[in-house]
Amino acid sequence: MELLDNLALGFSVALSLQNILYCFVGVLLGTLIGVLPGLGPIATIAMLLPITFGLPPVSALIMLAGIYYGAQYGGSTTAILINLPGESSSVVTAIDGHQMARQGRAGAALATAALGSFFAGTVATFLLALFAPPLADLALKFGPPEYFALMVLGLVASVTLASGSVVKALAMIVLGLLLGLSGQDIYTGVPRLTFEVDELADGFDFVALAMGMFGIGEIIRNLEDESQRSLVAAKVKSLMLTKDEFKQIIAPVLRGTILGSFLGILPGGGAMLSSFAAYSIEKKVSRTPMRFGRGAIEGVAGPESANNAGAQTSFIPMLTLGIPSNPVMALMIGALIIQGITPGPNVVTDKPDLFWGVIASMWIGNFMLVLLNLPLIGLWVRLLTVPYHVMYPAIIAFCCIGVYSVNNNTFDVYTMALFGVLGYALVKLDCEPAPLLLGFVIGPMLEEYLRRAMLISRGDPMVFITRPISATLLLLAAVALVMVLLPAVRKTREEAFKE
Amino acid sequence: MIARTTRAACAAVLGLAAAAFALAPGAARAQAYPARPITVVVPFAAGGPTDTVARLVAESMTKTLGQQVIVENVGGAGGTRGAGQVAKAAPDGYTLLLHHIGQATAPSLYRKLPYKVTDFETAGLITAVPMTLIAKPGYEPKTIADVIAYVKANKDKVTYGNAGVGSASHLCGMLFMSAVGTQLTTVPYQGTGPAMNDLVGGQIDLMCDQTTNTTGQIKGGKVKAYAVTTKDRVKSLADLPTMEEGGLKGFEVAVWHGLYAPKGTSPEIVAKLNAALGVALEDPKVVARFADLGTEPEPKDRRSPEFHKTYLTAEVAKWKPVIEAAGVYAD
Amino acid sequence: MGFVRNPKDVISGLLFIALAVLFAWQSRELTIGTAMRMGPGYFPLLLSGLLGLFGLIVLVNGLRTPGEAPSGIVWRALILLTLSTLLFGFAMKPLGFLPALGASVFLSTLASRKFHLMTALIITAVMCVFCWAVFILGLGLPLPLLGPWLGGY
Repeated sequence: MELLDNLALGFSVALSLQNILYCFVGVLLGTLIGVLPGLGPIATIAMLLPITFGLPPVSALIMLAGIYYGAQYGGSTTAILINLPGESSSVVTAIDGHQMARQGRAGAALATAALGSFFAGTVATFLLALFAPPLADLALKFGPPEYFALMVLGLVASVTLASGSVVKALAMIVLGLLLGLSGQDIYTGVPRLTFEVDELADGFDFVALAMGMFGIGEIIRNLEDESQRSLVAAKVKSLMLTKDEFKQIIAPVLRGTILGSFLGILPGGGAMLSSFAAYSIEKKVSRTPMRFGRGAIEGVAGPESANNAGAQTSFIPMLTLGIPSNPVMALMIGALIIQGITPGPNVVTDKPDLFWGVIASMWIGNFMLVLLNLPLIGLWVRLLTVPYHVMYPAIIAFCCIGVYSVNNNTFDVYTMALFGVLGYALVKLDCEPAPLLLGFVIGPMLEEYLRRAMLISRGDPMVFITRPISATLLLLAAVALVMVLLPAVRKTREEAFKE
Repeated sequence: MIARTTRAACAAVLGLAAAAFALAPGAARAQAYPARPITVVVPFAAGGPTDTVARLVAESMTKTLGQQVIVENVGGAGGTRGAGQVAKAAPDGYTLLLHHIGQATAPSLYRKLPYKVTDFETAGLITAVPMTLIAKPGYEPKTIADVIAYVKANKDKVTYGNAGVGSASHLCGMLFMSAVGTQLTTVPYQGTGPAMNDLVGGQIDLMCDQTTNTTGQIKGGKVKAYAVTTKDRVKSLADLPTMEEGGLKGFEVAVWHGLYAPKGTSPEIVAKLNAALGVALEDPKVVARFADLGTEPEPKDRRSPEFHKTYLTAEVAKWKPVIEAAGVYAD
Repeated sequence: MGFVRNPKDVISGLLFIALAVLFAWQSRELTIGTAMRMGPGYFPLLLSGLLGLFGLIVLVNGLRTPGEAPSGIVWRALILLTLSTLLFGFAMKPLGFLPALGASVFLSTLASRKFHLMTALIITAVMCVFCWAVFILGLGLPLPLLGPWLGGY
């Protein structure tokens, strides 16, 4: 069994005292920094990258991988506790996770995230070990038309994120798409929607937008009724999952894992789509979809498993082909190059200890995360009992530092202030911010892939239908659209009849 | 604009005054340099090829100068944001810029550039990373001469990918098209990663990029390589001919990197930096890492600040007509 | 407000329409191109149109179906928190990390109705020490503690 030999090699590397230590340090640092609002995985890795330069290559990569999923995990913690997603994949976790926290179920939400992530991480690690090369080839089958179709599907799915009015959700998505287009047009180099501001040449910063809309906007909102806010914190129920809840999350975790493992392989937004694709699937298959947005545990379990599985499998193109699938992977490639390793298809054969060592360490890292985080849940939940008027200045400070440090740019801080006001206004008008954020992330990609597909096909729109993968995805999108719109139409009718 | 010019003028005057002051009492001030950590601004994100070059050089310069040389990534606007920041920094030798070929192409690519190339003192060239012309796996033409003939005959069918307006791959593509005398369908991407992905996946036909980004794929057989873009063959990819061997006379492009200080930095400080840079380029660790990247330190006769200045001026002049002919601007 | 039956929807509808106009106006000079060969202006204009359309639907809904008015706005929190964020950005470069952070944190504590001078000062001090330890000492962020106006660099 070649696989067993390979895994044995991997574990022998990953289980060396030194590498266990670096893995642990990475996971711990990642979690601690990721928990600070405003600091997601990308910012965390960029900050900690120089620390790894002095290490041997395998240890460096193991530690970076640990920081990556540790930070992702920490990001979910903040999303649940204070409704502050540090990056696109935890936007979805915030929706139901934070509602659970408000109902005193923060412990259960965090435990769900930990267990779901661990399960998904384990499955994804084995997928990586078993099928990395064929999966990477599959990813290469995705050309611009396929990505465009995938983005359309994602866009349709994002409507389900809203629990209120569908038209308002659609408007918020379109607003997000528009904000996402701001910056230089990559095809012609022309600046667009920059409001004649030089700093917007690269568009709005995601972290500034998210921290403004969710962070600042939410804090202003909370300060409306401070007495109520502290009441919520006081009635913390048991920290662990009940038996019923445990049963409830099994199916969502499985579905999320499968979805995330697949989407994670696709470079350019796959991993990001996975968490909210998982959310909309859970909401669709649920017999009680109205609980979503009000603290449904499946709404935490599915997306959390999906994004962890996706985070794991997004290593596949990087490790097997040397192609970064997202900014974090690009940073890791940079780290490898500094270490004197040229990432590429040869890494698997030339450096088996690196390849298999990193894969094995991912499982170990995930295991450590659970060990580390289950006991920490009690501590995090206790943080909620800190009086709100003491806690929010700290959140503001972290948001400011986090946003500033991404690009060392004061303009991003001003942007955050602007979006704070806009976010507050929109919340007051019952417009939910989550669809806007997803539109913001998808917008530029949607346009980019569409125009690229048309460019390569020389203006022939048939490429979307003649290529089987893209045709299938578009068909799925059409079906999903009907499913999303039908109940909405019915609901408005019902509401109309009620009056 | 007026404010900027005035500021630049003031900086120049102040710089001259400072230089005169430094010269007068026996260069006492320059002796003390560096008294605190030096920041090298890299106008691109951490982890990219330019950042890698900067970190390797900075590590060695730290040892020589006895002060921490810190790399700060100020990405955005194709490198012009970071460069602009250094152009406005105090000319005290504590804020430097490490930039690549983009320093010479930005004045033509950006018609509203908020600074000038002459806002900097040149402190020396570092390395010129060769580029490679590569194609999707299984691409028909066999040799570089075949590619040129094929491209001329099928210009409507061929797609050329690049990593975005102003990127090295964009520059190389423009030069290639103007050398061959044809226009191909250019497909821009956000960075090398996604472009490489589509090339390996066979969605696009051709690309030209730095060895830093392509060597792994070439050696792993995931792409077809035709030629290197330097004057001479490259050691790490010795079986690849040069573009000139393929019939494109005088075709030469490399992603050269240079170190800059804000205009008005005293010649003593520039000389000190240039000397420390020279030591770094002899450092066996730097040389070895550069070799991994498929490049070499600049040879000794190309390392002086004066050579850098002449070279920069020549490069600005070389790219201006190419960019204007392509008619693609980034502003 | 006789014909305005759902103020929340009416205001959001108007907000969306206003933003749609703003974005459309911003993209007025961009080449539109055709669906086959899109210019940089194609998507922004298309989306602005869609946003305007959705805004109109929300607006019409608000005129037809009744709903509640938005509850009172906490002007104090809105203004103070926005100011404290802006202050951080404004003070970062000239004054440096610690003054910017301290001023911003202190200003933000004023937003709460439970404001108490002693607590506010303690929070400010604790945050300054904590952030210094984490970001400067721990993570080594290249942020000057004191800016050029205060004798730093």
